[in-house]
Amino acid sequence: MSRRRTPAPRPLRPIAAALLLACALTARSATTAIDDGATIVYTPTVTMGWQSRSPRAHSSTLMAGTTPVRVRLNVSPWLHRNGRIYLVLPAQQPGPIRASWTTQGRLLPGTLVSGTRALVYSGPITTPVMEDLIQLAIAVDGRQMDRVYNIDFRFEMDSN
Amino acid sequence: MGQLRIFAGGLCSALALSVPVPARAFTVAIAAGSQEIYLQVGVGGFSGTYIAGGTPGNNATINNVSVTVATTTVGNGTALAMATDSSVGASSYDGYVFCTPNVQLYIGGFYRRPGNGNTTATITATVPAALVDAAGDKISFAEISWTTGGNGDAGAEPFPAGTFVAGGSQVVGTMAHNTWNESCWTFSYKNSAVPPQGSYAGQVVYTMTAP
Repeated sequence: MSRRRTPAPRPLRPIAAALLLACALTARSATTAIDDGATIVYTPTVTMGWQSRSPRAHSSTLMAGTTPVRVRLNVSPWLHRNGRIYLVLPAQQPGPIRASWTTQGRLLPGTLVSGTRALVYSGPITTPVMEDLIQLAIAVDGRQMDRVYNIDFRFEMDSN
Repeated sequence: MGQLRIFAGGLCSALALSVPVPARAFTVAIAAGSQEIYLQVGVGGFSGTYIAGGTPGNNATINNVSVTVATTTVGNGTALAMATDSSVGASSYDGYVFCTPNVQLYIGGFYRRPGNGNTTATITATVPAALVDAAGDKISFAEISWTTGGNGDAGAEPFPAGTFVAGGSQVVGTMAHNTWNESCWTFSYKNSAVPPQGSYAGQVVYTMTAP
C-alpha cells in the first residue's frame, strides 16, 4: 500500500512576506487620482493683478487672480464606500503658489500651497459624480511672472 | 511553491484595482497682464478703487497749492503752511482715507511690470526757476518745501520730503515694479524773500518714467 505524503507547509520566504505586507497596506489605504475630465475652468487664462495687503506698507510683490471652476469628479469607482478627496497642487513653475477656494457646499473650502494637498471631502460616496462650483483664487510672486504659466491641479481619493 | 503562485495572482489583482479610471487633472493658465503705469498728483482719474476692479484714466485737472502772506509778515523767515484745492483724501487703491483734504496733496500710483526684472519707475518734477507775478516779479521756487506722511502710515515714504530745486529737474519719488505707492504732501512757503506785492504763480510738472 502506497501512501501519498503531503509536504508540510513551508514558511514564506522573507521577500514574499514583505510584498504581501505591502499589498495589504496598499489595499488598506489607496490613493488614486480622480477622473475630473468633466471639470470646466471658466477663465482658462486668468490675468493676474498684483495686490498688497496695505499700500501703506509700501511693499508688495504678490499677484493674484480668480476664476470659477465647475468641478465634476467621477467617483463611481468608490460608490457606496467611504473616501477622502483631496485637492492637490503639485510643486511647479513659476515658484511658490498659493491657492484658495470657496465652494457651494458640496466640497469643503480651503487653502493650500504648492507641493501640498487639502481635504475637500470626507465621507460616504453616494453618487457616481460629485459636483460643485468653486471660486478658485491663485496667488504667486509677481516677480516670477515673466510669461504665461499653466498651473496644474488634480483631485485624489484616499479610500479604504 | 503553491503559495507563491497564489501570491502572484493576488499581486495582479492589486495592480488591476490601482488603475480603475483614467486619471485627469485640470489646468488654470495664469498670465501676468500688460505693463501699466499710473500717477496721480492731487485729483486723479481712477474710476472706483483698484482692489474693487477700478481702472485708471486721465484727468486734466491741475491742482493749486497756495498761501497768502500778510503784508506785516512778508519775508520774516517764518515758514507758512500752504493749502491745496485738492479735495482728495482717499487712496485710489482701496478708498482708505489717507490724506487730509485741502491740507495735504495726495500723490500715488502704481508701476506694473510683470516679470523678474528688478526695475524701478522714477517720478520727476520739472520745476521753473521762479513763481512770477503779472509785473514779471519773481519768487524762487526754492522757497517751497514739503513734508510727507499719511494717516496710519509707517516706514519710509515712497515720496519723501523735499524742497524744490529752482529751474531744475528733480526726482521726487520712485516705485518698485508691481507695487502701489502713495504719500501725502504738506507744502510750506519758506517766507524768506521780500518780493513786491502781487500774486505769484508757477507750474510744476510731474512725470513718471518706467523702463
